[in-house]
Parts: sequence; C-alpha cells; structure tokens
Amino acid sequence: MPFAGIDIGSTMTKVAIVDSNGIVLASLIGPTGAEHRHLALKVMDEAMKKAGLTFEQLDFIVSTGYGRINVPFNDKQITEITCHARSIRELFPTVRIIIDIGGQDSKGIKLDTEGKVMNFIMNDKCAAGAGRFLEVIAETLGIKLTEMGELSLKAKEYVKISNTCTVFAEHEVTTRLAEGATIPEIVAGLHEAFAGRVVNMARNLGIEKDVVVTGGGAKNIGLVKAAEDKVGFPVLVPPEPLLTGALGAALLGKDFVARGVTPERERRIEGVTFFK
Amino acid sequence: MDEKEQAKTTAVKGTESARKVRAMVKNLYRGAGEARAQGKKVAYFMVASQYDEILRAMDVVPVPTENYAGLCAAKRDMDRFLLKAEADGYSQVLCSYTRIGLGFDSLRKDLGGMPENAPDGGMPLPDMMLGSSAVCDPRFKWYQAAGRYMNVPTYSIDVMAPPVFTDLNEVRDHYIRYQREQFLGLIEFLEQQTGRKMDKERLWETIRLGDRAWRLWYETDRLRRATPCAMPSQDHFSIMVPAYYYCGTQEAVDFFNDLYAEVKYKVENKIGVIQEEKYRILYGGGLPPWHTLWIFNYFESFGAVFVIENMYRAYDPVEVPSHVKDPVEYLAWRAFLRLTQRHEKAKANSGNPVVERLLEMIKDYQIDGVVFHACRSCRATTIGQVHIKNQLSQYTDIPMTQLVSDMVDLRDYSEAQWKAQIGAFIEALSTRSA
Repeated sequence: MPFAGIDIGSTMTKVAIVDSNGIVLASLIGPTGAEHRHLALKVMDEAMKKAGLTFEQLDFIVSTGYGRINVPFNDKQITEITCHARSIRELFPTVRIIIDIGGQDSKGIKLDTEGKVMNFIMNDKCAAGAGRFLEVIAETLGIKLTEMGELSLKAKEYVKISNTCTVFAEHEVTTRLAEGATIPEIVAGLHEAFAGRVVNMARNLGIEKDVVVTGGGAKNIGLVKAAEDKVGFPVLVPPEPLLTGALGAALLGKDFVARGVTPERERRIEGVTFFK
Repeated sequence: MDEKEQAKTTAVKGTESARKVRAMVKNLYRGAGEARAQGKKVAYFMVASQYDEILRAMDVVPVPTENYAGLCAAKRDMDRFLLKAEADGYSQVLCSYTRIGLGFDSLRKDLGGMPENAPDGGMPLPDMMLGSSAVCDPRFKWYQAAGRYMNVPTYSIDVMAPPVFTDLNEVRDHYIRYQREQFLGLIEFLEQQTGRKMDKERLWETIRLGDRAWRLWYETDRLRRATPCAMPSQDHFSIMVPAYYYCGTQEAVDFFNDLYAEVKYKVENKIGVIQEEKYRILYGGGLPPWHTLWIFNYFESFGAVFVIENMYRAYDPVEVPSHVKDPVEYLAWRAFLRLTQRHEKAKANSGNPVVERLLEMIKDYQIDGVVFHACRSCRATTIGQVHIKNQLSQYTDIPMTQLVSDMVDLRDYSEAQWKAQIGAFIEALSTRSA
C-alpha cells in the first residue's frame, strides 16, 4: 500500500512516497514553477514514475506547504507544522524542538514526548527570518546560495550585521564590503544574525534537547553551526532536510488509512494553482 | 482608476442583540454631532477610565475616540488617518488608535470640516477632552498632542492600582483617597466647563445604572459556560459598546436585559453559535483585530467557537462596603476593588492576576485551546503576552497560539500566515481530542 505526500512551497515542490511500513519508495525535489505553479504536478508525476506507481495505485495523497490548498489530486490537506512533527517523530523520536527554516518563513515547533505538536510559533511577517533573506544577500554578494555555508566556515571571525530588515541588511553588507570585510566574514555574520532570530523565536517555546533543524536552511552548514552556537548544544539535521514536510504528509496518509479516514473529495488529475 | 471593492471583513454575529449594536455605534458619533449642535457639551473620552458615570451624571455627551479607530478599521477606512498622523511626525510604533485619532483631527483641521465620507459621519469637534492613565501610557499624552489641532481644554485623570505583591490592607486607604481626589478634580473641571454643579443624587442614579448593566453583562457571560455556547466573542466585541460607551444609562440596562434573555433562551434550547461545536476557544487577550473580525467565523468553519475572552469585561462585579455613602468615594472604592480583584489569588499561586483569570476561564468554560492576539502598536495588551502564555503552560497542556497583527493597522496583518497558523492550531486541537 503506497502513500504519497506532496509539499508545495513557493519555489520548490517536494514529494515522498512511502509503503505501509513507512519505508520511502521514492522522493523527489523539483521546481514549483513561477506561472500558476503548474510544475508541481510534474514533480508528482516524476516521483510516481520513480516508484513505478500511478495515481490510482496510491492509497492516500496528503498535500502540505503554502500551496496545499488548491491541489486537485490530493485526498486531504494538512499544515506543514503537523507534517514536520510526524516525520521527525519517525526520524528522531527524541526531538522536542523543530526549527524549520523555509524560503518563505521559519517556524518553531515543540513536541511532547509522544512526538505530538504541543505548541508552535512562526516568524514575523518579514523576510528577515526566512531563507529569502540569505537568497537576496547572496545575490548582492554575487555568490551562490548553496556556497554560503562552506564559505562562512572559512572566516576566523564574523562581521556584525545588525539590520533585521532585508533591504537595510543589503545596504549594510555593501557598506561592510567597502570597509574591507571579506565575503566569508560577512556571510558568517549573516548566519550569526539569522540564527539569532530563528533561535530566539524558538526560545518562546522553551528550548530543550533534542533540537532538529529542517527545511532549506538546514542544508547550510554555516547556518546550522551558528544555530548550534545559539542553542548551546549540537542540533540534529535529517538526511534530506527539504523532504521532512513531504515525508510527514506521506506518513500521515498512512496513519489516516489505518484509522479508516476517507478522502475529503474525488481526485482530479489537474495542475496545481495557488489562485482561484 | 477606482479601488476594487473588497470582500466584507466584518464578522457574522451569533445573537440578535449584538446585531443591534451597530445602530448604537452610529448614534455615538452622529448623535454627538447633533447634541453639540443643540448646545450640549461633547467630550472626547477613553474606554475603562472609571469615570463614565460621572460624565453621564453631568450630561456630558461622550465621544469615544479609541472606538472610532476600531470603527474605521472595521470599515477598512483607516489608512488616510494613519498616514496623515505619520506625515505629521507620529511614529508607526505609536498606538494605532492614537494615530487614527490624531490623523482624523489633523485632517478635520486641514479641511476645515469633516473628512469626506468619514465613517458614521466622523467625530465632532469636542468641547473638551478627558484623558486617563488607566490601561496604558499613550492615553495620558494623546489629548495633549491633539491640542495641536484644536484649542480645546483637556483634563486627564490618574487611575492607579497597586502592584500584586502589596499588602492591600496597608495601601487601600491611600489608594482610595488618591482615586477620590482624582475624580473630584475631574468633577471640578466638568463643573467649570458645563457651568453647573454635580448633583450627587443624579450620580448615584447613573452609578446604579452602570452597575446594573455590568452585572447583567457578567451574568450573560456566565451563561456562556453552557455547551453549545450561545454567544461568541465577535458578539462580545460589539456589546462592549453599550457596556462602556453607554455606561450609566437606562439604554445600556435595557440592552443587557434583552441580551441576557436572548442568551438564556438559547442556552435553555441548546441553540449554539454553530451546529456542531467541536472546540471551545478562549480569546486569551489582546485587542481584537478590528480589521478582520471575520476571522472568528473562519475558526467556526473548523468547528471552533470563541466562548469567552479576557478582554474588555476586565473585572467581575465587586461589593463596595455598605458604609460608603458618598458616590465619588464609591467610585474610588469600586475602581480599587476592580483593579485588585485577583491580587490575593495571584499572590498565593502564579503571581499574575491575568494568569489566574485565564485559568478560571479554562476551567469554568471547558476550554480546549487559547488564542492570543498580539497587537504590534498596543504595548498595554501585548507586552507580557508570551510570558503569560508560558506561565499558563505550566498549569495546562491545552494548545495555545498567538496571532500577530495590530488592532487597526492592516500593514501588520498577513492573511496567508494567519490561515496557516490557524490550520496548525486546529490540527493541534484535533490531535489532542483524538
């Protein structure tokens, strides 16, 4: 019995397909697509091909992420918070705090000893606590987003970036460059500032061991190390941190079938849209 | 190019009585304008200042300036006033009620009359402004700043409450004496402005009416303990208008008599706000999001009803000792007793009277989850909210969440983020109940 989870973010769509034992049969990360997010269905198609499955063979499909609402082929939609909690319960049962750093926002999620969501918090309506912050600054510095982590580790010290506004931080970065700071020092400073904001947000929940970092931000080794400094102890990172939402969605689909939950509506094999 | 008309953002009410409040709001502003034209004295005034019955006894027509900001937000007509105040130099971090009030006064002065299509006809130019220190700090300075736009006398009173860990027996007399002096100062000012003396018998009458309305309000809230709940929080945020802005009038008593009867009927006949009440929610605090009150109906679409709130009806009825024979002294006693109502309980438990009140509500109203609203520009209701939430979590494991925006400034609101957060909150409730 296969179950699929599809996590549709503003830029990337992530799909995970699991069997009745929760073993991952296939997973895929691909672009959501700019215009009407029509590529989300393509990512789903490719993941099914990878698993050798068709829509009809999937017992349950759960959608999550910002684009979860208008998914014609899902059986149920669940928020990312519940999905993250579900997959982390499977991957790291000792985790009590999840810090999810996505492109559009960051979240802190507190789990109880059974892995259920006790409390959660989301970052302010501001890019400063989201992956977009680093994306904008990477462009300003003329470096790739994926290079930032390793690059920051080359710095012996970091340059303090005090602005929390992305636009102002961009100005601050160019000022620091003009003053002679190196790019690694600046990137390390950005990570320090960014980690400070997201860890501080999670402190509202009461930080306790273990802590896991998920989302695109977890792929940035410099940011993870800065978060560890702020938390005060090592944090965990899943093998593929971008997939935790989709994996949780697939596992929840498995749970729903076990509990006899029926789909909310009939599936339509059509493209996803964020619009009416 | 004209602005595209927006979808309605107000909430669907649960009771007939609450639907009648809209006319009372209109009457506050249009009625005040008419009263002034007839030569009556009109005063800008502030909610929860403890002086409401004094104004009514002196026949001063009250114009609630904070409520006007809420009205502008509910009508989504706040930007022009906020931006005007900001253009006049007031910071965006200043209370948005204050900014709307000052922006409105500034525009009215510039235009030499009411701003075009001002909600409910606009606020008339007052004869006086009556500030207070109760609740928050900008209120003490707001009307002083408004003096920039109009040459109108201002009087602000101090409303004091002792800290929690005070020996109330030791400080009671001092606080009551001080509060009485504050009220007497206000009365002297009103006598000067109106040219008439305060009639103590008339003051006793308005106090009795005020206490009666508030007692009925309290009794109505007690009825909301029933399942299903017969009156939701969006109604509460309407009925605070007769409770506060008509305080000391027969009109308020009549309103609450009707409301009580309606809610009682619904409880007896098990008529709930929605057909299937799955989750009972406590509005934990923070000024309501006047710009987006439909959000309460959005919660209801998931079976979640806001059954009680820690806002506006800030105190339960109190018993002033029978030896108090003077109405001004009575008001001073009442203010003291209201503001120290849970001090002793807090001392013995959490140390925080608000936490004590929330814990009582969670128990009495069989609460499944708590939602707080943090308002970016309201320090009084937002500072400490996370601490209160954390303190509460030491006593209960029910899900809690904090939505962030502002009471009236829409620039601090994100619908997508709220919906995502509400979705996760509902899932947490569902997981817990499973």
